[in-house]
Amino acid sequence: MSGAAPSGQAAAPGGRTGPSPAGAGGGAPGLADAVRAEWAKLRTLRTTAVSLGLTALFAIGLSALACLLTASHGRQPRTPPTLSIIQGGWELGLLAIMVLGVMAVTNEFSSGLIVSTYLATPRRSRVLIAKVVVFTSVVLVTTEVVSFADFFVGHAIIAAYPSFPNVGISFPNVLRAVVGMGIYTTLLGLVGMGAGAVVKHTAGGIAACVGFIFILPGVLSALPASWSNPIGKYWPTEAGRQVVLLTHGPNSLSAWWGTAVLGAFVVALLLAAGYLMDRRDA
Amino acid sequence: MIEVRHLTKRFGPKTAVDDLSFEVHSGTVTGFLGPNGAGKTTTLRSIVGLASPDQGDARVNGVSYRNLRAPMREVGALLDAKAYHPGRRARDHLRALAVASRIPVSRVDEVLGLVGLADVAGRRAGGFSLGMSQRLGIAAALLGDPPVLLFDEPVNGLDPEGIVWARKLMQALAAQGRTVFVSSHLMSEMALTASHVIVIGRGRLIADSSVQDIVRGSSRTSVRLRSPHAELVVPRLQEAGASVESSDDGSLMVTGLEAAQVGDVAFQAGAAVHELTTVQASLEEAFMELTQGAVEFGAPEEPGPTGSAPAWGDPVATGGWGPSTGAPGPQGGQG
Repeated sequence: MSGAAPSGQAAAPGGRTGPSPAGAGGGAPGLADAVRAEWAKLRTLRTTAVSLGLTALFAIGLSALACLLTASHGRQPRTPPTLSIIQGGWELGLLAIMVLGVMAVTNEFSSGLIVSTYLATPRRSRVLIAKVVVFTSVVLVTTEVVSFADFFVGHAIIAAYPSFPNVGISFPNVLRAVVGMGIYTTLLGLVGMGAGAVVKHTAGGIAACVGFIFILPGVLSALPASWSNPIGKYWPTEAGRQVVLLTHGPNSLSAWWGTAVLGAFVVALLLAAGYLMDRRDA
Repeated sequence: MIEVRHLTKRFGPKTAVDDLSFEVHSGTVTGFLGPNGAGKTTTLRSIVGLASPDQGDARVNGVSYRNLRAPMREVGALLDAKAYHPGRRARDHLRALAVASRIPVSRVDEVLGLVGLADVAGRRAGGFSLGMSQRLGIAAALLGDPPVLLFDEPVNGLDPEGIVWARKLMQALAAQGRTVFVSSHLMSEMALTASHVIVIGRGRLIADSSVQDIVRGSSRTSVRLRSPHAELVVPRLQEAGASVESSDDGSLMVTGLEAAQVGDVAFQAGAAVHELTTVQASLEEAFMELTQGAVEFGAPEEPGPTGSAPAWGDPVATGGWGPSTGAPGPQGGQG
C-alpha cells in the first residue's frame, strides 16, 4: 500500500488565506452539528447497513421458519403463544442490536477515532447524546419495520394452516406487543451503548451485556422465590420484556411500567457513561 | 498563542509532566523536543483537553480547549495519525469532522488537495500507509483553517520527499502568522524546521530558546585546526585554556577558544595553519548534552572525554584569520 503514495506534491499552502481566528464556517457548533456528524459517521460505514440488514433478514427468516415448522406439524400451541412463535427469531435480533450498540461507541476507542471526535467536539457528553439520538432513531425505525414485517410474514405463513390458531394485529394487546418489540430491542441496544461507553472495549462490553441480559436472570431464578420474585420483577431486562408479552404473571410488571423501568435504567446507565467519558482521559 | 502553566500530570506513581510552564508564540515554528517518554505527547494531549492535568492548566489564546467556541476552527491538532476508523473513506472521515465543527464541506476537498491525498480521497483509510495517515491527520488539523496548530511527530512514516513537504508546510503556516507547535525526537529535523525550541526531559523544562542560542551554548562547539606544526601549537593552546583532541584525520579539535583566538595562538607559535574552521555542534549534539540525565530509557552511558575547560584564553590582538573561515586554506599559512 505504501507504494501508492499520493502524487500531488504541489502541496505548499501558498495560495491560502491567512489565519482567520473565527474560522471559515458559521457560529459555534452545537448539539445539532454533533448529531449530524454522528449520522454522517454511521452512514459512511459499510458495517452499519450490513449488520442491520443481516439482523433483519435473520430475525424474519428464523421467525418464518419457526412458524412454518410449528404450524405444518399442527402442534396445538398452549395459550396464547402464537405471537411468541412469530417473534421467535428475535432473541438473535436482540443480541445483534445490542452488539451494534456496544460497537457504536467502542469502535471509536478501538480505532483511535475517538481522538478526532473529541477534538471536534470536546464536550463529550454532547458526543454521547448525539450518538444516542442517531442510534435510537436508526434502530427504532429499523426494528419497528422489521417487527411488523416479521409479524405479517409469520401471520401469513400460519394462515396457510387453518387448523392452527392464528393471531391478528387487531387481537387484544397484539399491536402493543409488535410495537413494543421495536421499543424493547432499541432500549437493549442503548444498554449496549452505555456498557460500551463504560467499558470502552468491544469484547468487554458485549460480555457485560450478555451476562446482564441472558445469564444473570438465569442465576436469579435459582435463588429462593422470596428473593428472586421481587428482584426479577424489577430486573431491567425482565421488566422491559413485558411489553412484548400478551399476558403477565403475578410477579411481573405491566407492559408499560416494565418499559418505564428499563427506560429509567437506560437513562441512569447513560448518565453514568457520560460522567465517565467526561472524566477519563481519551 | 499557547500557554502552559505549572502543568503536572501523573499516571499512577509516575509523574509524566512535572510543573511544566512555557509559552508558544505565533509567527514561528516552535519545536517541542525531548527523549522518548519525556512527556511531550502528554503535554500536547493536555493542551487539547484529551488528558486532564492533575495541576496547572494549558490554554490556547487564553481559553482552555474544552471551552473554545469552535475548537477545530481555533486549534488544529495532529496527535495520532491513525485517529480514524479504518472502514471509512478518507473524504467521509473529514466530512464528519467538518460537519461536527460547522466547517463548509467544500473545505474537505481543499485540504485533501493540500496534503496530496486528492487521488485517494475515495479509498478506505484502513488501507493507508503511515505516511498517508500522517497526511490525513494533517488535513484534519488544517480543516478549520485554524490560527494555532499542533503536530505530534508529524514526519513519522513520511518518505524523504514527504518530510521536506511537511517542513515547508509548517514554515509556510508560521509565515502566515499562525502558531505552529511541532513535537519531535528527531533533532536534526527540528533544526531544519523550527526556529525556536522547547526542550523537556522527564516532564520538566530543560530549555526554552532559539535554536541558534541552544547550539551556540553547547560546549561542543569547537574549532578544527589543521597544522603541520601541531607539536608547536598544542602546548600553547592548552596554556591558553583550551582542550585539544586529535582526530583520526590528523586535524585537531579545539574546544574552549574561538577560531580567531586559535588562529592567534597558532600565529604566535609560528605554526602554519592549513585549516581553521568553527565546527558548530549540531542541534542533536546540543540536545544530547542538554538532556543527559533526563533520558527515560537510556543505554548505560559511556564515560566520554569531556574536558571542556571553561577558561577563555587571553584575547590577543586579532590575527590573520577570521572567526569561521569555511574552506581549508590551500595556500598554506602565514608565519
